[in-house]
Amino acid sequence: MTRGVRWARFASCALAAATGTLARAAAPARAASALDGHPVAQVLILLGCVFLLAAAVGLVRFPDVYTRLHAATKLVTLGGLGIFGGAGIAFYPVDGTPRVLLIAGLFFLTAPLSGYMIARSAYLRGLPWYQEHGSVDDWGALGIESQGSAEER
Amino acid sequence: MVIDIAIVSLAISGVLATYRVLRGPTWGDRVTAFDYLTVNLAVMVVVAALRTGFTSLLDAALIISILGFMSTVALARYLLRGRVMR
Repeated sequence: MTRGVRWARFASCALAAATGTLARAAAPARAASALDGHPVAQVLILLGCVFLLAAAVGLVRFPDVYTRLHAATKLVTLGGLGIFGGAGIAFYPVDGTPRVLLIAGLFFLTAPLSGYMIARSAYLRGLPWYQEHGSVDDWGALGIESQGSAEER
Repeated sequence: MVIDIAIVSLAISGVLATYRVLRGPTWGDRVTAFDYLTVNLAVMVVVAALRTGFTSLLDAALIISILGFMSTVALARYLLRGRVMR
């Protein structure tokens, strides 16, 4: 038996073992979660996950700080609100709903604020922005100078 | 089924944001991705509470959300001024 055949048999055995383990691990995943029987909550949570995934992709793909903030602030606000709203609907008969709504309200207040703080300090410290397709500098037009732009780039 | 899709997509987005934290060319990218990671962690804890039915985990999600916001604001203020408060 050559070495390639042995490796192929080893790989096939390992693959079979891994898939068997996965199937056995996925079997109790059909247990009841709090989400069963709430189709509105399921749709809201799926929408929130789609928005959070789009925010992560934008965080990786966008060219500079400000566009990444655009992705990571607006999409995260909407996606987190969708997931928290879905959880609030799914927990409705039990005692989880007021806490989830508290988290959602606090999150809806604080997520744009933290994005604003990051953008403000990034602009005032003079982080460079992407200028290939043109850009608008509203604060520069207002006469607000960015500090320390020379050594930060 | 829905909860499994949610867990997998949240894990993928956490990995992508971790890439931006490690790679980010400037500190603004790192702080942005860190803010995203804290939000992602709070959402993951809420999804874990949905999955297992332990509503006590929602308190943990509340604390994680508040701590993420406060640490992001403190980091932004520190990187702007060199100090957090006067």
